Amino acid sequence: MRNSSLLILCSIFALAGTARAADVQMSIEPQLISLLDRAVLKVEFINASGKALDIPQVDGLNIQYRGQSSETSIVNMKRTSKVVHTYLVTPSKVGDFTIGPVTAQYKGGDKELSAQLRVIKPRDDKEAQAISELMYSQISSDREAPHVQEPFGLTLKVFIRDGVQIDGNFSIRGGMPENGMDGELQWEIVNRTRQEINGTIFGVYTLVSTAKTLTAGTFTFQPQVQMNVIIPRQNRRSYGFDDPFFGDFFGRQETRPIVLDCNRLEVNVRAVPVTGRPDSFTGGIGIFGFNVEVGPKEVKAGEPITVKMRISGKGNLSQITPPQIEESHDFKLYDARTVATDNPNEICFEQVLIPKSDSVTNVPPIKFSYFNTKTTDFRTISQGPFPVQVEAAPQQAAQVIATVPSTIQQETKILGRDIVYLKPAPDHWKNESDLNWYRKPLMRILLALPLLLLILVTGGTARKNKLANNVALARRQKAPKAARKQVQLAEQSMRKQDESAFYEALWNALAEYFGHRLNLAPGEVSLQAVLSSFSDAEEDLRALFSVVEQRRYGIQSEQENSKDEMKSLLHKLTATLKACERIKV
Amino acid sequence: MKLFLSMCTALALSSLTAFAQQEQFSSAQIAYDAGRYAEAVLLYEKILDQGIANPEVHYNIANAYFKDSDLPKAVWHYQKAWYEMPRDPDVKANLHFALNAAGAIEAKPAFTERLLCSLSKSEWIIAATAGYLLLILLLLLLQVKTSRRLVVKLCLVPLGIILLSTFGWLRWNQLQTHPDWVVVKTEATALFGPVKGSTAHFKIPIGALVRQRSIDPKGWVEVEYDGKQGWLETEYISRISP
Repeated sequence: MRNSSLLILCSIFALAGTARAADVQMSIEPQLISLLDRAVLKVEFINASGKALDIPQVDGLNIQYRGQSSETSIVNMKRTSKVVHTYLVTPSKVGDFTIGPVTAQYKGGDKELSAQLRVIKPRDDKEAQAISELMYSQISSDREAPHVQEPFGLTLKVFIRDGVQIDGNFSIRGGMPENGMDGELQWEIVNRTRQEINGTIFGVYTLVSTAKTLTAGTFTFQPQVQMNVIIPRQNRRSYGFDDPFFGDFFGRQETRPIVLDCNRLEVNVRAVPVTGRPDSFTGGIGIFGFNVEVGPKEVKAGEPITVKMRISGKGNLSQITPPQIEESHDFKLYDARTVATDNPNEICFEQVLIPKSDSVTNVPPIKFSYFNTKTTDFRTISQGPFPVQVEAAPQQAAQVIATVPSTIQQETKILGRDIVYLKPAPDHWKNESDLNWYRKPLMRILLALPLLLLILVTGGTARKNKLANNVALARRQKAPKAARKQVQLAEQSMRKQDESAFYEALWNALAEYFGHRLNLAPGEVSLQAVLSSFSDAEEDLRALFSVVEQRRYGIQSEQENSKDEMKSLLHKLTATLKACERIKV
Repeated sequence: MKLFLSMCTALALSSLTAFAQQEQFSSAQIAYDAGRYAEAVLLYEKILDQGIANPEVHYNIANAYFKDSDLPKAVWHYQKAWYEMPRDPDVKANLHFALNAAGAIEAKPAFTERLLCSLSKSEWIIAATAGYLLLILLLLLLQVKTSRRLVVKLCLVPLGIILLSTFGWLRWNQLQTHPDWVVVKTEATALFGPVKGSTAHFKIPIGALVRQRSIDPKGWVEVEYDGKQGWLETEYISRISP
């Protein structure tokens, strides 16, 4: 009976182990979809393993690989294992499509696979032949040929046919020049209107951005606008086992991402000419105004005058460096600095200059040159001279200024006619590690030593102060040492066979230890006083006190060998004191 | 015995090396005096190749490069010598002379910059260490019965030294993030952006010293020169500071 059951079980497993022949199949589900729908293409390797196929592009379809799964099933005692590669097929126009043929390799050989898909017009819009007729985008520029660094506006319009529902979110993925742009474009939705185009109403979203290039050349813009279209889910099912775009909570609709078609915009960016560039050009490209304020206008020699330079207008304001004030022996010039301004179309620089003498009558003219993108030439705006009244400084200050040589004089003095001669050989040859001596571990250890010393001394001093202020604690610390001293005396007396001195030393050991330990006056040490604090060692203490006192007063023991008794007593005393040392009082 | 022998061998070897370096240094000086500047450069380079980093060697090789009409390398080595001997008048004068010869504009440091550059990094560390030891000493004195108020007041001196030294050390440490570069190629034009074909901003003469502001991984360095900032390709410049 037992053998027959085993045989049946083995037969079942043997049958289950019988696998079907290896094969590979391609299927698409469903084979009929509308323009706004999607289908799932599957390549199944049956009883074989295989890699994902490179499906050739089909005009009007976007085929994206979504992943691999595997499954094993036993049907009618036959085991089947499958490796399934799944692709998501998104149509962009109506029509009949053939996916493939594509050759799949598996262990049974090669096989050509293909699948058929029919895409029909959407139910809501019987006219649309392609998604690009339902929704698309257009990009345009406000400048045909801007210059390098010149900001130009880009307008992106997204057209969505009336009736198509979207979730209102746009994302722009790629399609922008990879090199030569100054930063990434920041798009902003500025307008939303409805517009009639060829008898059809479209919702139009307008997005704007400002672009600026670092180089000259042709820049191509063809942004890929991705948006999510909301599609009713009636008569549809969700195909995406790993499709991130799930429907609403009740599953009545699903969201489908669509990348819109867009025209190609080419912008030819012109270089700023080098010829005719004035010395006072500080990088400004655009159309600017220049205004200079100088103040205070009445100063003493040596006092600062502030020059405030404002450049306003449309252009690359952030790239403009401060206009140069002509160097002069009459002034000491400090570096210009940028000052914050509330106006986004303005940049403000502030520079301090100090008149060196009262002969100064004005601040020299200040020139600002920029490249005018409208007239395509360099323009120079000059402001000043600015009259100032400089009074002579008090005598002391004047002397100080007079002794400071101007930069040019200093140069003349230092330079001479040739370089200074060679240096003699160094006393010690140093290598790189010698120069970086401070990075050596020994240096760190040496630096730590004084700190360690400080910590030790501080700790020691603190302990000393504490003991000085706390007599009980100080005596407590002394107790073991005092007892040890008396024990040593007792040992010496024992060796000399001096019994009276031995017992006296034992008594002193007890008296000094407990006197210090309990902060008692010398005459106050008694068995009662000790037992009140060391009750745990009562028995030993009683015996010890009793014997020591008896021997001190001449009461002899019954033991014949007094040396043995002395040894035993000394041992007991040491053990008892050690035990008491461990007891907290 | 073995230890003694190995110590003696090491001592003898180091003496021999030092002697060889001394010989090369003297030979280089002779070559320099004879006007054989290229040969002097080679001899000084040999010393530097042995790992020697004395500022005197950098100074002398800079002189030889200058005489050999290699301004960028002269400026490079003068600046290297200046890092270790910032108060040395010869180094300062020759660097100034070389930059003038190159037609380069020197940066005008502010007072604080001049103050912090008055000592080298090693000197600032020595000052900080001295301040630290003095502070420890004063704190030890506090443990003894002395006029505590006076000692506490005196503690301000080492604290001030440590603080100033920290700023000095930080100044030199800035060279790690904003190193100095020397322009080694002619026609070096700083651009407005780190892209080839970007608008030219200003030209920098060969041999000029520039300070790095930022760096672009694609081989561009934003440099500051004469108060202006622009982008240069790294092939135009050679980094000096560590």
